[in-house]
Parts: sequence; structure tokens; C-alpha cells
Amino acid sequence: MQEAVLQLRNVTKTIGRRTIVDNLSFEVPAGEVFGFLGPNGAGKTTTIRMIVGLISMTKGEVLIKGVSVRKHFEQAMTHIGAIVENPEMYKFLSGYQNLVHYARRHTGVTKERIAEVVQLVGLQNRIHEKVKRYSLGMRQRLGVAQALLHRPSVLILDEPTNGLDPAGIRELRDYLRKLTQEEGISVIVSSHLLSEMELMCDRVAIIQGGKLIDVRSMQETREDSSQLKLLIDVNNPQLAYRVLTESFTDMRISMNGSQLETMTEKARIPEITRRLVQADLDVYGISASQKSLEDRFLEMTGGEMVV
Amino acid sequence: MSSMRNLIRNENMKIYRRPRTWVMICFLLLAIGLMSGLMKWDESRNNHSNWQQNLTEQNQQWQKQLQDDKKMDSDDKEFISEKIKTNEYYLAKNINPNELSLWDYVNGSASLIMLVTILTVIVAADMIAAEFSWGTIKLLLVGPASRTKIMLSKYISTMGFALLLLLISFAAAFAAGAVLQGFDGLTQPYLSVGPDGIVHESSMIVNSIQKYGYAVVSLLMYVTLAFMISAAFRSSTMAIAFSLLFMLVGNTITMILSGYSWVKYLLFANIDLTQYIEGSSPIRPEMTLAFSISMLVAYYVVFQLISWLLFTRRDVAA
Repeated sequence: MQEAVLQLRNVTKTIGRRTIVDNLSFEVPAGEVFGFLGPNGAGKTTTIRMIVGLISMTKGEVLIKGVSVRKHFEQAMTHIGAIVENPEMYKFLSGYQNLVHYARRHTGVTKERIAEVVQLVGLQNRIHEKVKRYSLGMRQRLGVAQALLHRPSVLILDEPTNGLDPAGIRELRDYLRKLTQEEGISVIVSSHLLSEMELMCDRVAIIQGGKLIDVRSMQETREDSSQLKLLIDVNNPQLAYRVLTESFTDMRISMNGSQLETMTEKARIPEITRRLVQADLDVYGISASQKSLEDRFLEMTGGEMVV
Repeated sequence: MSSMRNLIRNENMKIYRRPRTWVMICFLLLAIGLMSGLMKWDESRNNHSNWQQNLTEQNQQWQKQLQDDKKMDSDDKEFISEKIKTNEYYLAKNINPNELSLWDYVNGSASLIMLVTILTVIVAADMIAAEFSWGTIKLLLVGPASRTKIMLSKYISTMGFALLLLLISFAAAFAAGAVLQGFDGLTQPYLSVGPDGIVHESSMIVNSIQKYGYAVVSLLMYVTLAFMISAAFRSSTMAIAFSLLFMLVGNTITMILSGYSWVKYLLFANIDLTQYIEGSSPIRPEMTLAFSISMLVAYYVVFQLISWLLFTRRDVAA
């Protein structure tokens, strides 16, 4: 693993007697898209806001490229680009003036760099129009441009897909992929859209009740998941059910209309097929699929999702 | 890390790119134009041909009053005898005091600083609160500038706006005076009777700047108050409402409560420093100029401290 760009150490937030974020520790290496998953109220947004200093931490430390956000806020923030939920811009300014506004806060953002970023997000034709005439998708793009101006090492996105249509979500996803691959930026993203996270992220952290339940790599999850979800379509599901429960006593099978559903390893599929054929059943199809992130997520958080 | 200069440029951009700001400036110009027109109209109704005779008659009347009225207190006596001396001086130097000079327009505009204060309060009230209502506060704070720096840049920009309005009103009144009266009165002296009982000439421009200076004290205090409320409650409506309320009823409150000695600790009782000018008396007899200045400094520091604490310490959750 490369050097960690972002480190959280025992980050805790308590308001009154309530602990919102409880001893959170994890690291994000360079070039990784790191997702934050959790039911509403799990502390995702609070954690992200603590990383960028909008909310103070009660305990613990956040390091960005080794610089403490608490002690050296200004220095730490030079490495961060942030896109918050529904990027709000100054509506009475033009898109370009908005970018100038954000560029001025950093040292060394040239006019050429602004033009380059505008090109990157594809706003070059409308950049001198007032933001109040922009559509939500355009504002989102301006938000991305604003975050990239100073070539940050970490991009932080808080619910970036809220309010975007599917095309907009896909566009954003493509940008992010491009950015991590071409510029080596790490991305930290929080969302409750599980399917999106599955497509976007390299690793996800699952938080519940302010506690870190699990951090897992999406790739590993895909590779080593021995358990497959099997859907079996046969002409006589009752008979098939009997055959399979008799031959595989450890298997839990459920009947779903004309289909049988079960969890099993890949190696067992040929054997299952053979048994069914030997029992003289007409097999229309057997489909194996991996458990989706959503299945796992619901498993882990006990289905308490409020999406 | 952000330089202070760039942060102030940002804040200025956000003030002057809003159409509202220019409406305010036009409004101020309109008010000064209206005031100048009224002054000119009022002057033109007077007959100036026999002003020497008028002044002489007035003096004779006052002399008679001084001799006849035995019950008149010493303050009034002094006031009237100073008036007489000034009038005699006018007659001796052949200056018609009723003819307006362009300085009268500038001095008149000093009374419009109340309007400048109101306009600046509106801008100050929006400085922090509007970032919250626009939702732009998050992006503003997630940057290489500490909250202290952001607040300071906002405060400095607000004060810059106040300064601009003051310059505009001074310049506009000067220009209106020059157009309506010409430059003849430019060198006209300002007359005052000193403690030695002799009429003194002093520069008119210094007098005008003094008038502005006194008005700026209340501007500074009310704008800082509005800025504090804006930072504390994150609501521009509240900031405007409270500041204007204090501005409008402050005087009345101090007058009503002037019987109590603790009234001297109120902001409003100290904000008008002209109460210490010769010829007027402070709200409470025990009050001195030094006392009022230290009270104002104390209030100012408290306002700044509260805004700073609330702006830099509070979480931005919504």
C-alpha cells in the first residue's frame, strides 16, 4: 500500500451526551476512491465535515498528507478539494467569477489553469453566464471545477449524487475515474446510493451508529466471495426442492415462484446440475450471481437502512 | 494559504457585483441631491438685499432681551451673547451668513450619515448571514483560510464600503454646493466664540470633517453591532432589524431613562459625542468625554469578541 494521503485517528464527536462518531480510525492511500457507507444518521456527513474542519472534533486527529487539520488548518486545506451536496455558488456572479473567487484563495492558480479546468468539465461555452441561469447539472460541474483548481491531493464529496439525474451521476462517475487515474487524486465519497458506490469505489467503509463496522476492498470482495447466489429455473420446483434438500443437507433453499434460490460455492454448481438432470427435471436455466454490495450492506447493518 | 489581500478582493467582488449595492449608492446620491435642492429652494425664499439691516435688528432685539429678562440662566445668556458677537463679526467683515456656501451643503450631508449607516448596516448584516442562506458558507470555509481571516476580510470589506459611501456623500454634497453656489464660499471661515470671549476664524473643511467624524462614531458602532448579530445568529433579517431598532429607539430610551444613573453604561447614551461640545450638556452630569470613549471602546471590543467566538467556534452543520 502506498503512503496514506488521509489518516483518521480515533476521531470522536460527542454532542451533549450523545456520541455521533465513535473512535473512527482509517487510512486512505493515494489514488484510491474510498466510499463511506452507512444508514442515515450513522455519522457519515459528520465525519466528512470533521475532515474538512466544518465541524470540530471532540477527540482524535485527522491528518492530510501528514498535516493535522486541527493544528495547521490552512496548510492542510491546501491539499483538499471539496464538493458538497448540491454545490451552491454565488448566483449573482458568472461561472467564471465564481471560479476566480475560489482560485484567489489558493496560491498559484493561473488563468490558464482556470481555463484548463473549465475545459475539463466542458463548461467553456457558458462559463461567462450568470450562475442563476445554470441547470443543476451545470452547477455540479462548476462545483467539480472549483474543487480541482488548485490540484488537490484529496477530493472530498459529500452526497455528490443528490439531486442529479442518472446521466449526471454517470458523468460525475466518469470524471472521478479519470481524475484518480490521470492525476492520482484520492477521492473520499459519501453516499447512500449503494449501486453507485459499488461502481465508483475501490474500498468502502461501513459505518453504523458512529462506529466503523468494516472496511473492505471492492475487488477482494468480488474475487474471494466464495458464496454465490444461485437462481434455478426448473419445470417442477417442488420436486427439485426435494431432490436438492435430500442431496445437500447443509444447503438452505428457498422457493420463489417457479424458481429456487440458494447460496453456494461455485464448485458445487456442476453437482447441483447433475442431480437435477438425474431426477429427470427440465432445467431452463441456472444463474449464479455475486452478492451485491446492497445485500452485504443490509446483512451487516441488520437491514436498518433508511434510504 | 490565502493572502488577506485576495480574501478582501473576494469579499469586495461579492459586494460590488450585486446590483443591490448600486441601487443603494444611487439612493444615497438621490438623497443628497434632494437635500441640496431643498436647501437652495429654502434660501431663495429669503430676501438678501438688506441682510445687514436684519442682523443689526436681530442684535438689538437680543441685547434688549439680555437686559430685560432677569430670570434667564447663565447658559442661555452666554449663548445669546455669543450669537451677538458672531453677528457683529459678520457685519464687520461684510459676510452674509444667510447666504449658503458650498460648505453648508457638505455640513448638511453630515446629517445624512444616518442614511449611510443604515445602508452599511444592511450590507454588514448580509456579510456572514447571506453565506449561510446561500449555502456557500461550506465551500468558503473549506479552503486554506482560517475562519478568523475570513471574518476579518469580511469586516474590512464592510468598513471599506462604509468609507466609500462617506466619500461619495462628501464629494456629492461638495459638487452640489459647487454647482448651486459656485466656489465663492470655498475660503469662507467658520466662526466660533472661544473661551476667551473672542470670535475665532477656523477652516470650514476642518469643521465639516469634524461633523463627519462625530457621525462616524455611531456608524462604526452600529455596523459592528450588525456584523456581530449576523455572525451570531446567521440571520440577516435579525441583524438588520435589531441594529435599526437600537438606532431608532436608542435615543428615546436614554431620554426616558436619563433619571437613573446606570443609563450612562448604555451604548446609546455614549454614542453621540457631540454632547460634550461646548454649549451642550451630556445626558448624565457625571459623564465625561473620556468616560464615553472608554465605554465605546469596551462595547466595540465586546462586539468583536462575540462575533469572533461564535463565528470561529461553532460547527457548520446544516
